[in-house]
Amino acid sequence: MDLAANVAPVGAPAVPGNRGIWVGILCEMSEFALMFLAWAWFRHGHPEDFRAGPAMLNAGAGVANTAVMLTSGYFAVRALLAIRRDDAIAARNWLVAALLGGLTFLLIKALEFRWNIEHGVVGTGNSFVAMYYYLTFNHLVHVVWGCLGLIWAILRAQFGAYGAADHEGLEAAVLYWHATDLAWIVIFPLLYVLH
Amino acid sequence: MNIDESRATTVWLGLLALTLGSAWLGEGVFPPGLTAAVVALIVGVKGSLVIRHYMGLTEPGSRLRLAMRLYFVVVPALILVSAALGG
Repeated sequence: MDLAANVAPVGAPAVPGNRGIWVGILCEMSEFALMFLAWAWFRHGHPEDFRAGPAMLNAGAGVANTAVMLTSGYFAVRALLAIRRDDAIAARNWLVAALLGGLTFLLIKALEFRWNIEHGVVGTGNSFVAMYYYLTFNHLVHVVWGCLGLIWAILRAQFGAYGAADHEGLEAAVLYWHATDLAWIVIFPLLYVLH
Repeated sequence: MNIDESRATTVWLGLLALTLGSAWLGEGVFPPGLTAAVVALIVGVKGSLVIRHYMGLTEPGSRLRLAMRLYFVVVPALILVSAALGG
């Protein structure tokens, strides 16, 4: 599937979306890479906390949120494919579906945090729990940014700004959404699976 | 549904299946080292699928594609190293 839009300067290789969004995505991925290094560092220093940690969490919420993120990413791909065939209404509808996925992620995360508090999973005195909140809060912030990007793209699509020949902004919002998905693909096993 | 949409749907279902596989591994069915190895592989595969089929980084020789693909080699390697160190 060739999703790359040719928006690069003459002579430069094409990148999907635009170069600006890739600067943002690479910054985000670098930020998360540092967090993953911190996870490995603290896991090495506090093995007992990390061995017992995943069992303290609500695994069902982690699995549900992973499925929701992946499904929302799929809806975002469908939005891009729709605008490529110049179907702006379908693209807008798929973007709305992707946004609803993002909002569902935030809702599940809020319910999970409430469950954590009720079960004493608070970020004091345990390195795993501190890392859990560090990673998930940071990711949550990026999900909020991604939702705002999707809202912007929905509004632009609603007012006819995108078509088959020009949908750079829509593609940029979708790419950022996938980057947020990529970060969660790593976070999920680090926190919920690896004992 | 055209071929691109069908492919996107297939990739999505594959990603969901890999997620359920990861969750099952979390039940402790395998020794920790083997679990870490399979989890690292799943993370690498899921990342590669999203990079290729969702983000559209398909151009051979693209440095951006190389950097993103490398990310999903290094991070699984970090998982393996962490497991090997007995964390």
